[in-house]
Amino acid sequence: MSATTFKGGVHPAEYKELSLGSPVEAYLPKGDLVFPLNQHIGAPAKPVVAKGDHVLAGQLIAEAGGFVSANIVSSVSGTVKAIENRTTISGGRADCIVIENDQKYELAPGVGTRRKAEDISDEIIINAVKAAGIVGMGGAGFPTHVKLMPKNKNDIKFVIANGCECEPYITCDDRLMQDHPRRIVDGLKLVLSLFDNAQGVVAIEDNKPQAIKTMQEICAGEPRISVQVVQTKYPEGGERNLISVISGRDLHLGQLPADVGSIVCNVASLNAIYDAVYKSTPLMERYFTISGDAVKNPKTVIAKIGTSASELVEAAGGLKDGATVKKVLCGGPMMGIAMGTLDVPIQKANNALTLMTTDPVEEAEKVQTACIRCGRCARVCPIHLVPQMMARDAENGDYEHYEKIYGLDCISCGSCSYVCPSKRPLMQTFKQAKAVIMARKKAEKAAAAAK
Amino acid sequence: MSETAMYNVSSSPHFRQDLTVGRVMQNVVIALMPATVFGIIRYGFHAFMVIALCILTTTVTEYIFDKIVKKPNTLNDWSAVVTGLLLAISLPPAVPFYIPVIGGMFAILVAKCFFGGIGKNWINPALAARCFLLISFGTQMTGFAVDGTSGATPLAQLQAGETINITNLYLGTVPGVIGGSAICLLIGGLYLWVTDGITLHIPAAVIISFTLFVAAFGGHGFDGKFLLANLFGGGILMGAFFMATDPVTSPITTKAQVFYGIIIGILAGLFRVFGSSPDSVSYVIIISNMLTPFLDKIPPTKPLGYKNQGANGEYKKAGFPKAAVNLLAITFFAGLILSGVYAMTRDKIAVQQMNKNAASFREVLADAESFDYDDSISKAVTEHAGTSYNEASFGRTEITDCVVGKDAGGNVVGYVISVTNHEGHEGDIAMSVGIDTEGTVTGIAFTSLQETAGMGMKADEPDWKAQFKGAKTNEFTLNKSGTAEPGSGEVNVISGATVTSEAVLHAVNAALGFYADNIA
Repeated sequence: MSATTFKGGVHPAEYKELSLGSPVEAYLPKGDLVFPLNQHIGAPAKPVVAKGDHVLAGQLIAEAGGFVSANIVSSVSGTVKAIENRTTISGGRADCIVIENDQKYELAPGVGTRRKAEDISDEIIINAVKAAGIVGMGGAGFPTHVKLMPKNKNDIKFVIANGCECEPYITCDDRLMQDHPRRIVDGLKLVLSLFDNAQGVVAIEDNKPQAIKTMQEICAGEPRISVQVVQTKYPEGGERNLISVISGRDLHLGQLPADVGSIVCNVASLNAIYDAVYKSTPLMERYFTISGDAVKNPKTVIAKIGTSASELVEAAGGLKDGATVKKVLCGGPMMGIAMGTLDVPIQKANNALTLMTTDPVEEAEKVQTACIRCGRCARVCPIHLVPQMMARDAENGDYEHYEKIYGLDCISCGSCSYVCPSKRPLMQTFKQAKAVIMARKKAEKAAAAAK
Repeated sequence: MSETAMYNVSSSPHFRQDLTVGRVMQNVVIALMPATVFGIIRYGFHAFMVIALCILTTTVTEYIFDKIVKKPNTLNDWSAVVTGLLLAISLPPAVPFYIPVIGGMFAILVAKCFFGGIGKNWINPALAARCFLLISFGTQMTGFAVDGTSGATPLAQLQAGETINITNLYLGTVPGVIGGSAICLLIGGLYLWVTDGITLHIPAAVIISFTLFVAAFGGHGFDGKFLLANLFGGGILMGAFFMATDPVTSPITTKAQVFYGIIIGILAGLFRVFGSSPDSVSYVIIISNMLTPFLDKIPPTKPLGYKNQGANGEYKKAGFPKAAVNLLAITFFAGLILSGVYAMTRDKIAVQQMNKNAASFREVLADAESFDYDDSISKAVTEHAGTSYNEASFGRTEITDCVVGKDAGGNVVGYVISVTNHEGHEGDIAMSVGIDTEGTVTGIAFTSLQETAGMGMKADEPDWKAQFKGAKTNEFTLNKSGTAEPGSGEVNVISGATVTSEAVLHAVNAALGFYADNIA
């Protein structure tokens, strides 16, 4: 199959080779495990354990706090040391359950129990996914069981397994597809069993020939599943663009993928669904890449959710001799969050740490000039917006026009900032504009409700 | 609760493309190199100096301005270099050195820095300076003399209805601006496109709409040679690829860019077909620069997920952008009115011009009551317009006009031939020469004479002019011993003004030659 793609996008340097070669090993954490209660989109989870409780690996420690929310399970056995407010990986603060690891990894009762294929029903799938606390593991963290229960079940035409992994440096999905293709396909088949009219598509960028080959071999005998090779381009794995490329249908602001007949699951999420349904194993660990030019042995490890980021850096051999870290990213360089400290736990939706000895943003700020109106930002915008005009509106405070030219549809991919020769902080401006507009709307709503 | 950040914290993306404004501008300089190098090779050291001076002026001006207003030095964005180079290669090769200096200063100071520097200027600095120079130094800016020989630009020839050599035009081996080589400009434009410096929307829109317009209204239809001559001459290519694509002064969205290109193409076509100035492209792009803010008001194409979707998700046919339609209509009608006015006044202007000269006509052809044009003679005049008439015999003399003198009964009594000689001691000598139907000179008069007072100016004394009257000769000769008789065909030299005397003789002899060749 030829590699298809969308209009727009950028080609940042990939640096995938840094971490791709090393074998994947499980890393067992030494320090405390920390579980922020808000590590998913939606309401924070509610703790069901108290300080001093003994917990087992796979045991529920916080339950979903609403319909759009997710359970949290302990990834190790040990003692609840505290439930307190701590800094999380995004730099914000959140209530967290802190568990002192007893290094025994005792499993909770029932965890690991095999389920037979003939025993599986739609209800069992949804309940298992919900109990396992699975969220979108590509970065968004949207509760997966909610995603699997759209109102228009019969309209779903595509279930897309997202194996694009278009962020530079990150290789965990690539490794997972190479190591456990069967699990991913079985997970995909479970999701497909929920949607009678859907076909499964595994989307992989063409810079992952090994993963493509492996997945194609596994999918060869699957009538409902095909592998679609897509062009290596950022943000190919972005939900809106991937749906356009695979299904030919576009969604806009306020629409969910299901509204245009697609369900998108990251390959890691599908792997977790497989574990949850067939092995009764909740989401406790994940493939996780530690890379960047500051890291001694960049690699992908199987990391326990809640492990401290600084421990994982040590797991990758620590820093290169003499390397000074300028910037630490949760995720990759395009959409990753810059971390002020490594002393924070990793969450379910985090897939990588990237440690860089240089900070291109700092360098860019030095050569920032006025906009020369070259229009490159508009050419690369995957949503086909005109960032130049949006930036002008945001700077002028003309939020009405900002909305009129669909500014709120920005997906924050950062392609515009990446490509700008004047080094304007475009994406940052749009994030701020969005925040201002949302705050105003909220205030208007409140004012209207008060009347 | 504040924890000190150990690492740099900023908004994503944390990668930035290795592309700066400086790189973008350097790329333009590279794209202009073929035309620049060609110009230097063809026009030599003087052209090189013009380019060097121009770039030096733009950069130094920007440097000093930054220093004065205490702005950080902006030279490393290379935009001043691009402005300087663009301006320089759009100048005639033989301009005096003060032209690039004044132009460079105007471009950077007035058109760019006063508006806030790079990205803030609303007209292209190089073009603004070029137009400023065209208006202020018309003679220097339109003199395309090279190696002492003046030649008509291909466009002037084209306007005079002459056929021109497309190959020479293509290569750039015709009189024109320093960077006038069509092939070099095309190479540069393609290079810019391939290296993502420009998109083809604007150049394509300009070239296609211009070509269609000239084909429709140029009077030659789809005559390939005529269309190519129009495309390759007169700055269309440089305008389309390097001036109109200036990002700062052109619209952002591709949709608006296409309209912008079409407006430039149509206006350039209008000015080319109905106007008289071969430099119209510069003005056209400046005018279009001013339309850019309006073109930017055209709503951008709807983003992903909204195309052909109504508010409620229903299918909707995409409408045509109103603002663009209005702008196009305004452009078209303004152009039509302009060209209409020009067409209506063209004949009147010619008549007025003739009345103005009628005084000198009567002076040299006293028997005539009225003057009129004769089509076949006028055609002969236009055929030689802008070029020297038989340079080997008469030096650098142009036949500029020829009218037929008639008596009260409408009978032809003679002809008045207007000639300009470029070899006067102090510049051009323009004069009218009257010749009757027998070929006898009936008188001469000067319409422009600026020779040295007390010496060359003596040519205008009645006694000296009278020597020509009544002579029937093919060629006047100069008598240096002062013994010539009036009407003999010999003319006494004006003492101390040999150059002037020779220039006048050349002019009169050219008129006689033209008479012999085309009238007698």
